[in-house]
Amino acid sequence: MKFILRIFIFVLPLSRAYAEGQESAGLPQMDISTFPSQLFWLIITFTALYLFMWKFVIPRLSTTIEERKDKISNDINDAENLNSEASKILEHYDDKMNSASLESNKIVSSSKATMNEYLDKLKKDNEIKINEMITESEKKIHQQKQQSEQEIKKATIETIKSIVSKYVEIIPSDDEISKKLN
Amino acid sequence: MVADNPIDPIHQFEISKIAEMQIAGIDISFTNSSLFMVFAIVATMTLFILGLSKRSIIPNRMQMLSELSYNFIANMLRDQVGDQGRAYFPFIFSLFMFIFFCNFIGLIPYTFTVTSHLIVTFAFAGLIFLAVTIIGFMKNGLGYLRIFYPSGIPIFLAPLIVPIEIISYLSKPISLSVRLCANMLAGHSILKIFAGFIVMLGFLGFAPLIFLVVLYALETLIAALQAYIFTILTCIYLNDALHPDH
Repeated sequence: MKFILRIFIFVLPLSRAYAEGQESAGLPQMDISTFPSQLFWLIITFTALYLFMWKFVIPRLSTTIEERKDKISNDINDAENLNSEASKILEHYDDKMNSASLESNKIVSSSKATMNEYLDKLKKDNEIKINEMITESEKKIHQQKQQSEQEIKKATIETIKSIVSKYVEIIPSDDEISKKLN
Repeated sequence: MVADNPIDPIHQFEISKIAEMQIAGIDISFTNSSLFMVFAIVATMTLFILGLSKRSIIPNRMQMLSELSYNFIANMLRDQVGDQGRAYFPFIFSLFMFIFFCNFIGLIPYTFTVTSHLIVTFAFAGLIFLAVTIIGFMKNGLGYLRIFYPSGIPIFLAPLIVPIEIISYLSKPISLSVRLCANMLAGHSILKIFAGFIVMLGFLGFAPLIFLVVLYALETLIAALQAYIFTILTCIYLNDALHPDH
């Protein structure tokens, strides 16, 4: 619709100009007498603009844009380098941590082993000592038992002797008494 | 719609002399058209001078604008033509900025639209057409004539295809120039007509006023779009000249 309207508006003045003939150029666009001036000034202004763009604007703009691109890509590169460096350091750190924990485990286990060994040795020594002491004391007990048995026997004989002597004239000998006791 | 009508929509396209000048009997007076050409390049130069005054890694607004326009045209040229188009970048860039500012300055009331004159757009289109043809023959020799006979077409279709291709090739500058000029002419005329309706309808004028606002937005879009279309078509023609096989 708009297109048709445009054609109409474009064509209408043209046709009117045609109808009116030479006396009035309907459409200023069709006035040939203005063409040289328009072309002349168009060439001058556009050439000026072209030279300005070519010599002044484009070199400066392109260098600015290139510089920015370079800066951004440099910054990205730097960041990537730093990132990889940081991850390397992290790896290194992890390695160190792992080896350190391994070592500390080793130290812990070895010290545990030595401690156990020491404890075992101590236990054994003590056991031996205790055993010795036990046998010794057993011997002593045995001796004392024998001694006390003999003493009891002796005392009994003495007692029997004294009891018997109170009631009987004949005092039995020790052998006789021990024979009877047994 | 006669000349003394106050709302004559064509009046805005009339050329009036500001300073008379002649070279060898040819009238090259400084006119309102010339004045607005000067305005357009001054506006472009101002944009870039301000944009380039403090060149920094982090751009300010004006630098951003100039870099945006630079990247816009550079990407367009790279996408359409490739790296071979680099040599023509200053021309394409200047062309876009010039048409863009002419179109936009023309949208301001009481101004003159340089690109609404067919001779101006045809001067650009003719220059582009000539340059593209010369570049085509310089880069490809007579092989450039292949563009009139696309590969993969059976030979018996050649008598049909080749004239069509020749006509379409020759009509390129006409379609290129008329497209821009007609868009500017028609758009500005319609704006003027509706602005006239507002005056004529008096109290009821708010209806065309609303329409005018919408239309003005549309014309703003068209001003940018036509500059873009003109430039991208130039890039496409240039690509045809550099790579006639495609």
